[in-house]
Formats: sequence, structure tokens, C-alpha cells
Amino acid sequence: MNVMKFVVGVVGMSALLVGGQPPASAQKMTEQFIPIGQSPGLSGKATVIGKLQSVNTPQKTCVIAGPTGALNVTVTEQTKIWLDRSKLQQPNLKGTFADLRPGATVEVKPEGQQRGVASAAAEWIKVQAASP
Amino acid sequence: MRSREEMVSLVIKRAAVFCLPSVLLAVLGLSGCKTAPPPDPQSQLIAKGRDIFFNETFAGNGRTCGTCHPAENNFTIDPAFIAALPKDNPLFVAEFNPALKENFENPALMREFGLIQENLDGFDDLKNKFVMRGVPHVLGLRTSVASPGGPRTGWSGDGAPGDGSLRSFGVGAVIQHFTKTLNRVPGIDFRLPTEDELDALEAFQLSLGRQQDLVLPLRLKGTVPKRGQAIFLDNSLGKCNLCHVNAGATANFGGGSLGNANFNTGVEDLPDQPARLTTQTVPRDDGFHTPGDGTFNVPPLVEAADSGPFFHNNAIETIEGAVAFYDGDAFNSSPAGLALKQADPRGVGIELDGTQIVAIAAFLRVINTLENIRQSIMLLESSLSVSSPEERKRLLQRAAAETGDSIRVLEGGGLHPDAVAHLRDARRMAEKAVRSVFFNRKHTEAAIRDQKKARAVLVD
Ligand code: HEC
Ligand code: HEC
Repeated sequence: MNVMKFVVGVVGMSALLVGGQPPASAQKMTEQFIPIGQSPGLSGKATVIGKLQSVNTPQKTCVIAGPTGALNVTVTEQTKIWLDRSKLQQPNLKGTFADLRPGATVEVKPEGQQRGVASAAAEWIKVQAASP
Repeated sequence: MRSREEMVSLVIKRAAVFCLPSVLLAVLGLSGCKTAPPPDPQSQLIAKGRDIFFNETFAGNGRTCGTCHPAENNFTIDPAFIAALPKDNPLFVAEFNPALKENFENPALMREFGLIQENLDGFDDLKNKFVMRGVPHVLGLRTSVASPGGPRTGWSGDGAPGDGSLRSFGVGAVIQHFTKTLNRVPGIDFRLPTEDELDALEAFQLSLGRQQDLVLPLRLKGTVPKRGQAIFLDNSLGKCNLCHVNAGATANFGGGSLGNANFNTGVEDLPDQPARLTTQTVPRDDGFHTPGDGTFNVPPLVEAADSGPFFHNNAIETIEGAVAFYDGDAFNSSPAGLALKQADPRGVGIELDGTQIVAIAAFLRVINTLENIRQSIMLLESSLSVSSPEERKRLLQRAAAETGDSIRVLEGGGLHPDAVAHLRDARRMAEKAVRSVFFNRKHTEAAIRDQKKARAVLVD
């Protein structure tokens, strides 16, 4: 039997079955209910919290004034947007691009584990709901 | 190896032993307690985590982590365990809390198949968007979470929010399972675990069960289990060891460890899945990511035989059936099955006959029993060094329960009746030790000897 062919073939499997996934992204959707700044292992480490400076609807981009400078954010098909209403003691909701209003406080999780970048695609964005 | 959990009770109880005479001295009006060194910080953290895991409700609907991961049932629940719970157990909140009646759990599927409802693809359409999953044990986590792509928790590997780590898992569990209403507002429907609590929960969970993988092959004595091990390890026959290296939860195709990987093995395509035979709605579970890619995370197999039903959807009740799955169409037409077929010089995925299926299952039964024996001996030994009668009783009862599992697992496969006889003796001795005030040490030591005799029957 051709052992080598077997090994090579099986190693090929790894790409099909294990690969192709961005590292540690799109974790469980319970994230929706975690208030801005409290995401375990991410907030204060891998996310950026700041005010939305500008929003470009046709391009699906926005700029966030973070503590260490501006972050240019691209919203992709995969980006999850959530409306954080926990301060109003109301349930957090799934949001849309239209919820991104200049002046709103947001928390952005850039794709991958990058930190300190100037521009990134967002894995998720939490938007602080305006007070009633 | 002694697990951290039991070390903690040892250390803490040893401190108590040192102080025991002080009660007498106090009676005499003297003070003479020689304080033992305090338990080390790690043991204290584990003890704290254990208390949170079994007692903390996070101001929610009354459930604790232990509601679904009870120590006395291998940290998982199944229909038999569920049937013995009182009606007001918080597992059943959906049956008595009106706010959780709809779209939180499916009581019929919970009671008949041990399935739990989860909103892995989001909470925007609770009525239609959910999956029904079995409860995995939380044993051996030190060996079954890490992968090059990041930590993999839960059946599809993406169970935790935040950074996706085991430490963060508890936050998602509270939001999913502990809420008082479907609003899921932190501070009202539950409180989120603090950073300190997450540290403690993580330390406790990592302390449970195996701390390292086996090194196969073991020198098994039983003819059939030994053959089962050989088939399991044979990359051109059983092929199990490709994805469950050393019967653990990591994959290795010959190019180095792939860690705790994900595969689409076609479990969702099984015909006649129990839950789907009912009139209940069971949406397709798309696995990892949202939308899902159809893959699920490899579970460890040492702990399998006594923690069924098997697979993410509890589709198969017996370990023989779970092994037989790999000989079927659902697996062999799956992406993983097709890849194995492509790589095989004879062009077959996994093809096993009845004798071979039973042999592999016999092997899985024996390694599960060996792990139970290891745990039992550890519990019995710990019980010898505690002073609190309640703690001693708890440890002895858990040892008896583990031994009961060993007996059931071997008997269920018609394996090693001589080992079963020793295990029965061991259980009787442990139960006697629970009841005995004066001879508990003697009975406990006898139980340990019987466990070792049973082990000697199974392996060199
Ligand atoms: C209502 C039942 C229920 C409760 C309560 C519960 N769990 Fe679970 N647990 C499950 C189910 C179902 C899964 C499978 C989840 C998945 O596939 O994503 C699971 C999976 C896990 C896993 C993943 C194990 C692995 O092998 O990857 C961990 C860790 C865990 N739970 C810890 C906890 C902790 C900590 C708590 C308490 C904060 C808790 N669970 C409360 C039902 C429950
Ligand atoms: C391609 C990788 C792969 C191969 C090969 C493989 N498995 Fe699995 N195994 C998995 C995955 C992934 C799961 C979880 C599937 C699910 O729940 O959907 C699993 C689950 C299991 C379970 C259920 C465990 C539990 O706790 O529910 C058993 C038992 C099992 N495998 C045994 C075997 C045996 C025996 C073989 C060889 C005949 C084998 N596996 C070959 C990937 C694999």
C-alpha cells in the first residue's frame, strides 16, 4: 500500500476541514448582551472604544476617535452590529448600519487579533443607544 | 495523577486535621492549635471556582453551572438523570416560570433526549433560530480546547463570547441559560460574572478529570479490547486516531498536531435522528460560525463511554452505535468521509464490520473504566486525609458512583467479569466506609486495593 500517498492525501484534508477560518472570530452570539467595555478577554485588550466621528454610508465605512487615535472601520457582510441598551435597562438588539450615528459611543472588535492598527474590517460593533 | 480538585480538598482538610486537637484543648480552656500552612493560592482559586460552579446563580433563574454539569453524573446530564430530578429543579424553569415558557427550552426534547436549546446563530428570531444540543461533560478540558486557530469550546468550537476562551465561556452560559426573562438584560435578568469569578471558574474547570492525554497503545489484557485498540490506531482501517489522537480531542494527519480541530463528519445528515422523529421542530445545526460551515469540534473519547448519549445532537445512545456511525453513509458521504476516501489507496472512507465495531467500542469502554478507576482511587485516597465527616462522605460517595460507572461500562459490553467482581467489592467497601465511624479507614483501604486489582485485570 502506498503510505506516502495516504499521508499526503490526509494532510490535504486539513485545509478542507480545519482551515479557511479567520482566527477566533465570530464567537457565540451571546456577545450581543454584553455591555460595551465588558467583553471578556477582549475589552481593554483587542477592542477600541470611542465616539463615532464620521460615517460613510455608500462605502460602508466609519471613523472612530479611539483613545490612541482614529480608527477607520470597514463594515462587511460578516460584521455584526448590536445596539447596546443595557444602560437604559432594556434588551440589546441586533442593529444595522443605520444605527451608526456620528457622536455615538461604540466599541469595535477588529477582525483577527490585531491591535493598534489604523484601519480594519470590523468583526462586530456595539453602539450605545441614545438616552430616551 | 491526582486532579487539582481533589488536591484542594486534601490541602484544606489537612489544615483542619492539624487543628482538630484544638477542640479538645479548647474544652480544657487551653489554646494549642498549630495552624497548618494555608492552602496555596492556586488551590484556593480552584476551591472558589468549585463553589461558584455548584452554588452561584448569578441572580438569575435559579440554575447553576452544576444544574447541567453535575459532578455526580460525570458533569453532564442524560434522560435517566433528568427523570430522577424533582419537578421544581431549575433545569425545568421553562415548565414553571411563565416568562420562560416559550422559546427558552423545549421541555419535551429535554426530558426525552437530554437536549438543551441554544441560540448559537443569534437572538433576533428566537422562535425559529436555535439549535438543540446535548450537554458535554467538562472533563479533561486541559487537553481539549487549544487549537492553532484559537480556543475551541462547545460542540461547534465557538461556544464562548469575548475572546472565545474557556475562561470566557461562563459569561455566555449565564446569558444563554441563567436568564430570568428573554430580555436578557444584565443587572436585571442576571448579573454577569466578575473577572475574579471567571478566573476561579476557569481554574476549577481545568482541574477536572484528566490533565494529560494517554499514550497509546496501552498493554491491554482483554483479547477484544486489545484488537479494538489496534483498529482504532490503524490509519488504514479504523482511522480514528487521525482525529482523536490517543483517544483524545486533537487531530494529527501526519504533519504535526492540528490541536482541537473542527470537522464536518455528517452527524447532521444521520437519518432517523431521535429528536427529528418527534413532532417537535429541530432546525438544522450548521455548526461553527454564523452562518455555519457545518463543522463540529472533536470531543475527547476517554471520557465517552459513561457520558452518552453521543454527538452534538445526542443522536446515538450507545457507544457501539456511536462507533458504527463511522461505517455508515452519513459519515462516508460527509466532507471528512470523502477526504478520507480520497486519501485511501483502496478508495474507502471508513469501513468496519460488526466484530470490528464492537471491538473498538470495547476498547473505548476499557479506557473509560481505567480513567474511572484512576478517579476512584484518587477520591478514596483524598477521603483518608479529610477530617470533616461530610467531606469524607462526599468523596466516598463520589468514588462509589464512579465505581458504579466502571461496573456499568464493562458489563454493558460483556467485558472482564473478573474485573467487575473486584469493582463490586470496591464499591461495597466504599459504601461501608461511608456508614462506618470507626472502621472507615480500613474499608477505604480495602476499596483502594480492590480498585487496583480490577485495574490489574484490564491492563499490565
Ligand atoms: C441549561 C444547561 C446548562 C447550564 C446551566 C450550563 N451549561 Fe455548560 N453547556 C451546556 C450545553 C448544551 C453545552 C454545549 C454548548 C455548545 O455546543 O456550544 C455546554 C458546554 C459547556 C462547555 C464546553 C465544554 C467543551 O468541551 O468545550 C463548558 C466549558 C461549559 N459548558 C461550562 C459551563 C459553565 C461554566 C456554566 C455556568 C456558568 C455552564 N456551563 C452552565 C449546558 C449548560
Ligand atoms: C475526520 C475526523 C474524525 C474521525 C476520522 C473520527 N472522528 Fe470521532 N468525532 C469527530 C468529530 C468532529 C466528532 C463530533 C461530531 C459531532 O458531534 O457532530 C466526533 C465524535 C465522536 C464520538 C462521540 C463522542 C461524544 O462524547 O459524544 C465518538 C464516540 C467518536 N467520535 C468515535 C470515533 C471513532 C471510534 C472513530 C474511528 C472509527 C472516529 N471517531 C473517527 C471527528 C472524527
